[in-house]
Order: sequence, then C-alpha cells, then structure tokens
Amino acid sequence: MPEFSGDAGQPHLDECADCRARLKSRRELAAGLRAVAAGFHKKEAPARVEARLLAAFRSQSGITPIRRERRWIPAVTWAAAFAAMFALAVFLVRDRQPEAARSTTPRTVERASLVMSGDMEGFIALPNAEDAATGESEAMDVVHVEVPRSAMLAVGLEVSPDRTGEMVQADVMLGSDGVARAVRFLN
Amino acid sequence: MNDRAMKAAATETDDELLLRIQSGDEQAFLDLYRRRQAALFRFALHMSGSNSVAEDVTQEVFLALLREGCGFDPERGTLSGYLFGIARKLVLRHLERGRSDVVLVVENDDSTLPELAVIDDPMVDLTRREGIDALRRAVQALPRRYREVVVLCDLEEVDYADAAIALGCPIGTVRSRLHRARGLLLEKLNQERNPRQAISLKPVRCAS
Ligand SMILES: [Zn+2]
Repeated sequence: MPEFSGDAGQPHLDECADCRARLKSRRELAAGLRAVAAGFHKKEAPARVEARLLAAFRSQSGITPIRRERRWIPAVTWAAAFAAMFALAVFLVRDRQPEAARSTTPRTVERASLVMSGDMEGFIALPNAEDAATGESEAMDVVHVEVPRSAMLAVGLEVSPDRTGEMVQADVMLGSDGVARAVRFLN
Repeated sequence: MNDRAMKAAATETDDELLLRIQSGDEQAFLDLYRRRQAALFRFALHMSGSNSVAEDVTQEVFLALLREGCGFDPERGTLSGYLFGIARKLVLRHLERGRSDVVLVVENDDSTLPELAVIDDPMVDLTRREGIDALRRAVQALPRRYREVVVLCDLEEVDYADAAIALGCPIGTVRSRLHRARGLLLEKLNQERNPRQAISLKPVRCAS
C-alpha cells in the first residue's frame, strides 16, 4: 500500500499540529490495514474448487479420454440447479416407459454402491447415469433443487397419490459433465 | 508440479499462460489458477463476509475465463485486473440476491460524506488484536463502493490501474474513493473508541 502522503511539506508539518495528527492517523490506518491483510494472508479457495475447475477445463477442452456429447454445464449455483432439474426431468420422461421401469431396481443397487460414501448416504442412483462414464474419482457436485414429489415415484419410492403434485426438496448429484448421477430426497 | 512446470509458473506472465490455456494447456490453467485464486477468494470474502460466497465466486471467475477468455483485451489492462472485475460483478450479484450487504449509507450521495477528520485522541494501536478486529469490522461496514476500493488497493495491494479496470472507473476515481474510504475508516474507529468526542470532530481542510 502506498504511503499516505501529507498534503503539505515538512516545514509546514513542523508548525501545524493538525496536519501532524492527520498524517499520524493515516500512517496508523495504513499499518492497521496491513495487519488486517496479514490476518487473511492464508485464506484461499478450498482444494475442491481446483478439482472442479480442472474437471470443467478437461470437459471443455476435449482433453478427457471420453468426450461427452452433452455440453458441460457449470455445476454451481442456479445454472446447476436448472441443469439438475433438466437432467432429472429427462430421466423421469424416459422412465415412464414400462421396460425401463422394470430394470430400475437392480441397477439402482449396483450404482448406489458406487456413489455412496460419507455424507453421500441416501442417494439413489439414476439409471441414465449409466451411459455417463463415471469413474470413482470423478468430481461430483451436489446441488439442491425442488422437484415434484412424483419424481420420488420414478425412482421406486412410495408416494401417496394425492401428494404427487407437491414440491419436494432434493439433492441431485451431478457429474462433471452436468449429467445427474443420483438423487436424494430430503422430505 | 515438476521442475519445468514450476519454473514456467514462476516466469511466465499471466498473458502467456492465457494463450497456452486457450490452446488447451491444462498445466497453464492450473498455474494461472494457483497464482490468482487466493487474492480473488479473499476479495470476495472481504466483500461478502461469506466463505461460501467467496468459494462460489472464485470458481465462477475461472469458469467465466474458460467461457469468455477471449473477451479479455490485454491492451486495456492486466489479466489480474480483468479477473478482479469479473469477481466484483459476481460478488455484487450475490449481494443483491442475498441482500446480505449490511451497508445502510446511501451510496450515490458523495456530498454527505465527511472530509477526512483529525483524530483528537492519539489512536489506539491498530496493529493490536482488538484494533485489527475493529478495523476489519469497519471495512466490512463501509458502503460497497468504498469497501471494494479499500479491499482491492489496501488489503490486496492491487495497483490503481488494475483497480480502475476491476471497478470500471477512471484512476482518478479510484484515488478519490480510496481517500474518502480511509477517512470513513478513521472516523468510524474514532467514533467507536470515543463516542462523545466524535460529535465534536471538525472537518479538516488545513487553512494555512
Ligand atoms: Zn496544517
């Protein structure tokens, strides 16, 4: 930070107590601000940001071994929430077909065992996640969305018929390509 | 990071890294991220007071760079200034959305702001713990337009030219806002310390 410069030269400062006091205050403020800055010196973005960005970079530059057809969608904030809802909607539409519905359960178990760890408990894998290349090391983002309660039916959970129109809170796990891998309903 | 990469990271300019990033060089992207992320994170943290906002903003700045890297014009300023500018816009969006900006001062009326005042009392040493905390709070409580210039220029030591790029204003405005911001900080601290005396503070423009 540049030194505060007095408005007047040294000869004036020698005579004027007001200006001396002002200069002193400014210097003390400068020192104080340096001390505040020093207190934040070690603050930085958590490592997961770098991991997410790296995944984003790879999916965008086409360096990844598996090039996804779907455009990468930033897995943060609103864009991600919309992406998650969209991905979930695609899944729900697909799943209306009876054959698909029948094959849901075994896949669910298999996929869920892959993605569950720590705070990932309660997630149900989505069948359409299969055609997304999912390595265990893939950086996942979890976004919070509101979906119709009927979404719970689609992954095999029980919902009383008169409540299917209600909205329900859900966490959707997104792969780095923006495709939903799994969902967890919160209420 | 291997030796070669470390050397490259130390010597290459941001602009050179950006060129390599645009040709798909992952290491260049990491080098640039590692060089710039902490200052951007701290800027967003000081501005928002929220670690999670700071995290989001830092991430989104670099996502924006991937999307809009070509929108950067080296003729107009440094990449660092450009990145701070993106961070600033994202922070403002967060602040507006979350209404977490606690500042109550009307921002558009510079005339209501006091001139830099003389502190009659010798200041309590600002480098002591309580002093530092009080100052940090005072920075957080500054109106946004003064807070951002103090955070950039005084806390992150961004030069005036880069700050002007980041804030989208002339360098002269950076200087004058910084001057007022520092005056506000001194005033605020003086008020906290000496509530009665603060009332009698006289605006100072040395007459002699
Ligand atoms: Zn004087």
